[in-house]
Amino acid sequence: MIRTENLTKHYGKLHALNDLNLEIGKGKVFGFIGPNGAGKSTTMMILSTLLGPTSGRAYVAGYDVIKEPKDVRQVLGYMPDFFGVYDNLKATEYLDFYAGAYNIPHSKRSNLIADLLELVNLSNKADAYVDSLSRGMKQRLGLARCLVHSPEVLILDEPASGLDPRARIEMREILKKLRSMGKTIIISSHILPELAELCDDIGVIEKGNLIACGSVDEVSVETRGIAVMQLKTLDKLEETERILAASPLVKRLDNKGSHFRFHFTGNDSDKAGLLMKLVQEGIPVLHFGDSKENLEDVFLAITEGVGN
Amino acid sequence: MTDFFTNPLIVKEMRERFRTPKTFWILGLYLLVMGAILLGFIFIQQMNSYISPGDNSELFVMLAVIQYGMICFIAPALSAGAISGERERQTLNILLTTHLSPAKIIMSKIVTSLAFIFLLVVTSLPLYSFVILYGGISPTQLLLLLLFFSVNIICFGSIGLFCSTWMKRTGVSTITAYGLSFFLVVGTGLVFIFLGMLIQQMYPEVYVDETVWNLLGIKLLAGMNPPYVLSEILGENIGPKLDWFMPVWAYFSIIYGVLSLILIAGSAYLLRPVRRTWFAWKK
Ligand SMILES: Nc1ncnc2c1ncn2[C@@H]1O[C@H](COP(=O)(O)OP(=O)(O)O)[C@@H](O)[C@H]1O
Ligand SMILES: [Mg+2]
Repeated sequence: MIRTENLTKHYGKLHALNDLNLEIGKGKVFGFIGPNGAGKSTTMMILSTLLGPTSGRAYVAGYDVIKEPKDVRQVLGYMPDFFGVYDNLKATEYLDFYAGAYNIPHSKRSNLIADLLELVNLSNKADAYVDSLSRGMKQRLGLARCLVHSPEVLILDEPASGLDPRARIEMREILKKLRSMGKTIIISSHILPELAELCDDIGVIEKGNLIACGSVDEVSVETRGIAVMQLKTLDKLEETERILAASPLVKRLDNKGSHFRFHFTGNDSDKAGLLMKLVQEGIPVLHFGDSKENLEDVFLAITEGVGN
Repeated sequence: MTDFFTNPLIVKEMRERFRTPKTFWILGLYLLVMGAILLGFIFIQQMNSYISPGDNSELFVMLAVIQYGMICFIAPALSAGAISGERERQTLNILLTTHLSPAKIIMSKIVTSLAFIFLLVVTSLPLYSFVILYGGISPTQLLLLLLFFSVNIICFGSIGLFCSTWMKRTGVSTITAYGLSFFLVVGTGLVFIFLGMLIQQMYPEVYVDETVWNLLGIKLLAGMNPPYVLSEILGENIGPKLDWFMPVWAYFSIIYGVLSLILIAGSAYLLRPVRRTWFAWKK
């Protein structure tokens, strides 16, 4: 659905993007992860026909973003990381404006707008002025806005940034609905936990280079042979820490008080060996396994060492 | 015209503009001030001298000059924020990903930003009809004046729009638009006078007294100067007498019309997010 070939963007001397190669299948949710300034927004703007690449090609639904921008715009909904709304317009009028901008006939608009507001849980705010909405609501309205022409592909640039936890969860629920509707979605973030359960694949980008790409599990373990592990014990904390610290495969041991977290650079049999050792030493192990819920660690593990 | 009422940008901007009471306050205030100035002048004139209704065009001239000053003052500013304002509000990028083409966005913007000033001019027409009672002015002159105003409004509007597309910030764009408009209104006149005098100084034996002003190049420059053209329309004659091969207002309208078209087309080109070079296009 989305493909980039050696996509490169330079701003003067700054290399914002280097030879990016991406392939995202239809109906997939792709998480685009990287710290600020990594080049996520740049990539998304190129895909949205708002920015010309220095070199390389990009295709959305088979259309070339440079040569066939009109076709690309038809199949694509783009939500920028920062966007404004017009004052003096009500939520329905706001959506009506964009529906008009996509040449949607008048007769279809009122139903469409009602459906969209329903989808993003803003039905009760239909007649509210958009600049009176909270940030979370504006963000959801913005999401409804990029759905007016029912695009197949959604490009969402940090849709959850600046939202409080509740608004984040609401946003995530809506994104899940969109995923079940079969949309292809690229979603970027610099903070990860919110993407973990949402994405089929993730791509990690740093300083314009894609340094890992694949499913969440693949990315964390395969690329660098690093896994982030979690260990929980009943007691004997000092002893546990001693054993872990003694193992050459354990890096970045972190005592979180209730549990340990560390990077493990061995394969599966090494893992089993470590567990066996702990048990032999009489440590009451409660939990021993990959720390999957926290993608932030995965991210730190992967980007470790890149860029210096 | 049907496009006018279905064009989403125009509908949206009209909604935004006419929803604020500010718009109506400005309109009311404007008419009030114009009317007050007019009445004040009539009053003063009647005190000072006995005027005979029938051949007194002074009031008309004064009204036209004041209104022209207002146009110069408002028109560039009205459109100078049209695109940069969207950019600053961070709505421009979204707009560019919709089906609205840059050309359509530009056209809608010029219409909506100038609609208001046209409204000001049209609503002040009753004042003119009042002045016409004092005579000295023909309906043709009034029509020409309206044409002159429209051409100026469109041209200043295009200048503002172009600056607004070109510059990132509304503040810079407004100042640049004023600068360029100022050059058209005052600068062309100064260049005209300067060049004329220069040539006369250099070849005093060739151009005895007024002949220099009728040199084609010099004359064409004069025809680009709005105050000169305005004075011709009003029959007031400032500056040297020139022989024209076509009515000066027609020449002026053509020049300024073409200039506006170029600026509008230029804006539409500048607004395209990804500008492909000709070389790449041919490939
Ligand atoms: N218009 C621009 N001019 C110059 N540099 C830019 C511009 N836009 C972005 N950059 C630079 O490009 C790099 C990538 O930016 P961006 O794609 O916005 O990163 P991200 O969205 O991942 O935080 C950054 O270093 C940023 O400073
Ligand atoms: Mg960004």
